[in-house]
Amino acid sequence: MNLRTLSMAACVVALCGCQGGQGLEGMQIAGLDVGALSKNLGGLREIKEPEEIQMGQGVAETLLGASPVASDPELQRYVNTVGRWVAQQSERPALPWHFVVNDSDVVNAAATPGGNIIVTKGMLRSLRNEAELAGVLGHEIAHVVRKHHLNAIRKGAFVGLLAQGAQVAASGSQSAELVNALVGPTKELYARGLDKSDEYEADRMGIVLAARAGYDAWGLPNAIQTLATIKPDDNAVKLLFKTHPSPSSRLEQLATVMGSDFDAYASGAQNSERYLRVTQRVRLALQ
Amino acid sequence: MNQRLRRVLGVCLAAAWCLPAAGAETGTLLRNADLKAKPFLDADTLVKLPERAPVEVLSRQGPWMQVRHQGKQGYVRMLQVRLDLSDTALARAPAAASPGGISRPSGGAPTVTTGVRGFDEQALMNAEPAPEQFKLMVGYAATAEQAAQFAQTTPLTARTVPYYDTAGKPIKGGK
Repeated sequence: MNLRTLSMAACVVALCGCQGGQGLEGMQIAGLDVGALSKNLGGLREIKEPEEIQMGQGVAETLLGASPVASDPELQRYVNTVGRWVAQQSERPALPWHFVVNDSDVVNAAATPGGNIIVTKGMLRSLRNEAELAGVLGHEIAHVVRKHHLNAIRKGAFVGLLAQGAQVAASGSQSAELVNALVGPTKELYARGLDKSDEYEADRMGIVLAARAGYDAWGLPNAIQTLATIKPDDNAVKLLFKTHPSPSSRLEQLATVMGSDFDAYASGAQNSERYLRVTQRVRLALQ
Repeated sequence: MNQRLRRVLGVCLAAAWCLPAAGAETGTLLRNADLKAKPFLDADTLVKLPERAPVEVLSRQGPWMQVRHQGKQGYVRMLQVRLDLSDTALARAPAAASPGGISRPSGGAPTVTTGVRGFDEQALMNAEPAPEQFKLMVGYAATAEQAAQFAQTTPLTARTVPYYDTAGKPIKGGK
């Protein structure tokens, strides 16, 4: 048996998150009995970090295909440094974290498995200071830490991945082809959004990550409060509003979570001057 | 200066004092709130403000928003305020920038005047993988050491904070 074919089929099984081969009885991929394979390779159901990183790269390549990297090296390095500092406060500091500002006037941000975070120019324009940026990045970092997208891909892409995985396995199983097999499910997932409970959890964790990093913990609530001032049918926020709970619901939850406990973290940094200086070009011109 | 002119001027000044400055953010109270003299829970209450009272936002710090209402200045909790539609961050971008610019129709919320580029649902569904863009992204990455140095010079001091559950209770075992 071709080792690559075996590993690819195992990967497909792992991605599907099937329990002990349930639902795979009798299923064949490239001549392999996937049900039996799943039982034998049950340990692979938990996707290992290298696979997650590879999948994340594929997802990021697709998202960057929708809107490319903004050409502002100073801004890119700044967002990467702030982001990396916040990510260092998470439970997954050793991931290869990459942050990028894409060239879009839409207000949005996104995370992929493996530690890739995209934030739009439009989002940066809507924020007031570095604490708000840290809160928004903290929310995205939380998605990665809790593997929200990875789990959604495993659950949601079951049928599609099996079909595409069969083709991949039959064609000699290049790992890059697995990434290509994720293009369709990626688009669907990012257009549909995660479960609302994942978004609420990312909010709860985002404020904590920003606070751990030494920032004013109210950066994220302030950023969400700003979103609430934009009409939901405005093209700039359509996708964000479609894929997230309403700003008012998110603020209600944060009010419950933050209560008065978080007053202890009110003294954190905002770094407004630095933020406004580095993002000045984004503010001055909608290029 | 004659008496009448002085009176007119006085009215104008009073009006100017009560009106928000141009470009200032304004909001509305979501519920009854105490206007505090200082940004602390146990600070003196200057006045009790009713639900839907209009406020001008002066500054923000932590859970507090410094606001002005009918000439009185003080602090309310930021989560007690809903910002007005006309004060969106998008409106803070210069309206002159176009195409793809933002305009603010009189009396309404700001809208994007032309199609917004990229990262909307249509762009996403039409996207082709862009490996060269990913390489660019990776090229900008900061190392953990660079991030730590950045935090040291800022300064940003790392703190121990637990995660919280949906009921607002700290979760044990976190950082």
